[in-house]
Amino acid sequence: MNIHFESRGDVSIVIISGSVDSLTAEAVLSELTAYVVAGHLQLVADLGAVDYTSSAGLRALLSTVKATRRGGGDLRLARASPNVFKVLELSGFTTIMKLYDEVDAAVASFGPSASA
Amino acid sequence: MTGSAELQVLALSDLDTVARFVDFSCERAGADADSRFALRLAVEESFSNIMQHGYGADGGPVTVQLHAQHDRISVTLRDRAPAFVPEQVPAPDLAASWQQRKVGGLGWHLVRQVMDEVSYERDAEGENVLTLVKYLSGGTIRS
Repeated sequence: MNIHFESRGDVSIVIISGSVDSLTAEAVLSELTAYVVAGHLQLVADLGAVDYTSSAGLRALLSTVKATRRGGGDLRLARASPNVFKVLELSGFTTIMKLYDEVDAAVASFGPSASA
Repeated sequence: MTGSAELQVLALSDLDTVARFVDFSCERAGADADSRFALRLAVEESFSNIMQHGYGADGGPVTVQLHAQHDRISVTLRDRAPAFVPEQVPAPDLAASWQQRKVGGLGWHLVRQVMDEVSYERDAEGENVLTLVKYLSGGTIRS
């Protein structure tokens, strides 16, 4: 699993790749938490290169959704693979999170000023 | 391909070994990609539950047996942690708002969602025996 961040205006793109499981999800959560604590509240997770997630990955996502929304921001998801989408759907996450087919659409969803 | 394989592990840090064992065995059995994903997910959730909630921090021995038949793959996990009572695992509230959603508690729910059969028993030797079964779709099976 790898994770890194890119800025697009006021929106940060979190690019995650590989498998998010019981061993790697803790690193995802700590990286995301540190980023949110540093003041980045408008996040897009690019999941295009995530081939697998278990409930451990969902814990990291939900914790981050709660932290960003409480600060007036959000964590939105882009490019979830069919397998990852299925886990999100079975867990009821597709109704509480915003999902997009493309990173650009997810970035644009934060509004024109955010992605300028 | 039909047949059986067995793996013994001792700690949560063995998860990669378990995942590779399951995926390799499923691939040899000719399982389709969806079934392989479902089995990897169900085995990880079960295995991490045993290690984190059954044994606790230090882990303990878990035996993973995989049995491939022409129409199904069965995975049995055996451990010596305290008894696990599936009926006592609360179901997650999937309709709750994001503010009310609890972080965690989804693992056992996912196991039941992606497997066709799930059974649990505490055997005569005091072992927990959890069996996960995934039916294979007919068109993808090699004999």
